[in-house]
Amino acid sequence: MTKDERLGAPVVEPLSDAAWSRVERGLWARMESSPATAESPPHWRRWWLVAAPLALAAAIAAIVLVPRHRATELAAGDESSRVVSGPAPSSVSFGDVHIELDASTALVTSHEPGHPGVLLERGAAWFAVAPRLARPAFIVRAGDATVRVVGTRFRVARADEHCEVEVQHGLVEVQFHDRVVAVGAGQRWSSESPGDVAAIAVAPPAVAPVAPPEPTLAPVAPPEPTLDAPPAPAEPRPATRKAAAAPGDPQGKPPSSRAAARAPEAAADADRADYDRLAALEPTSPKAALAGYLALARGTSAWAAPALFAAARLAVDHRDPRAETLLGIYLQRFPTGANATDARQLLARLRQGHR
Amino acid sequence: MPTERAVGFPVSAAREHDLELARRAATGDRPAQRALFLEQRANVHRALFRILGSNRELEDLLQDAFIAIYRALPSFRGESTLSRWCQTIAIRVAYLTISRRRPPTVDLSLVEETVAGGADVLRQVQVREAARRLYAALDRIEAKQRIAFALAVIDGKPLAEVAELTDSSVFAVKTRVWRARRDLLRRARKDAVLAGYLAELQGGES
Repeated sequence: MTKDERLGAPVVEPLSDAAWSRVERGLWARMESSPATAESPPHWRRWWLVAAPLALAAAIAAIVLVPRHRATELAAGDESSRVVSGPAPSSVSFGDVHIELDASTALVTSHEPGHPGVLLERGAAWFAVAPRLARPAFIVRAGDATVRVVGTRFRVARADEHCEVEVQHGLVEVQFHDRVVAVGAGQRWSSESPGDVAAIAVAPPAVAPVAPPEPTLAPVAPPEPTLDAPPAPAEPRPATRKAAAAPGDPQGKPPSSRAAARAPEAAADADRADYDRLAALEPTSPKAALAGYLALARGTSAWAAPALFAAARLAVDHRDPRAETLLGIYLQRFPTGANATDARQLLARLRQGHR
Repeated sequence: MPTERAVGFPVSAAREHDLELARRAATGDRPAQRALFLEQRANVHRALFRILGSNRELEDLLQDAFIAIYRALPSFRGESTLSRWCQTIAIRVAYLTISRRRPPTVDLSLVEETVAGGADVLRQVQVREAARRLYAALDRIEAKQRIAFALAVIDGKPLAEVAELTDSSVFAVKTRVWRARRDLLRRARKDAVLAGYLAELQGGES
């Protein structure tokens, strides 16, 4: 191999500004919320000599002490705890507050007697709070929004700086910047229009099923567009994609009412704007659109999956040699994604054409 | 970056800067903590990326690394540069991550920058494919060997520097790199792309 033919070391992919913002925001949230419980620096040598007995003791304590039910019970005496759900929804309780986390949601609970509450770092969760009576109000913070609760069941969802509150029972008070709005049962509030409270079209389900818009660990595909046309023989066209951009269920089920309710939030999302811009670019400059879709697909937002599928579809349309690879990657990364069926069909068609 | 500072003004001034920044950040001074974050984030990111490759947990790991850095700041004495000290902690975070579980390799990252019709498309695709196979193979070797290999061979750091960063002897690092390479070569017997890439990386090793 000559010097010119050398491939060189793998390139360190830079993080986008948005990603760095997420890192920084999460970092300060963790620093502020749990300074006493944040991770201490790991020791390189013989760390296991200390860790192993502790882990063993913790395991024994867990077996003996922890009640055997799905929800995690946090000790009321804890100052604070950071809770992160994995690819599946999870739940956690502390005191008389029960929280159902969507998949890939992160929050920090504060157990201070005078300031009980939660900081929602990312994702979405349902909160069931028993009537507070004379006790201090329970507070949920999500970005610039603060939700004060006196006893109710409600949901808070956050995607970057956008947040949304839905109330099933009771009444909450949402403070956003210097504006305070009361949101009652059957109503929803969004930071998109902080002065307005709208009725929820369909009653929210008892368990939150929709993945949040910012998956980090989950192999589960985030919400992504579905095709207008029945998926069987039709190749998705640029004209259909924009209409299909409303997020559907991550597992490929029909879009839920809450997914529809999140459309305004998604519309404001920068990734969605990029996606729409690329869709408009497709007819005139498909190569640039394909490159843009790939750049968008690099991220971990809800639009990564649709962007990757759009790139693959465009590659198929234009007989780009990468089409098969891109479809394969889509199916590997989002095997149950909303466009997985289409991707499989396109892939099968491509392979048939090769024979 | 310390090297950039060293070019701009004397090393002692750089050390003073590091010590002062660390001291202020250790007291909980948020502007100082943010300055440290902005100054070291690329450095920490590079260390994590080199060892773990592209993966979806990188943002969370960056947070973990900086929290570990802030917690450990009181122990910073200026014996090494702040940059190297932060790298050491990032490497330890990566080590614990590898020890806990196998981080998945994200194939998508290997396609992201491909631009249709560009002159370097083939080369980019080759690099990404080779990197994908390399990190997939690295996922299967022992954590310390992987770290030594990533720092010494992929990142091209001298063995002495790797030894310092991993709090090990040069001999230990050399042994780990050798074992990692042996394992990788064994896995590359049926993978010509990986074998070729390993040979190339070996050629460029410092």
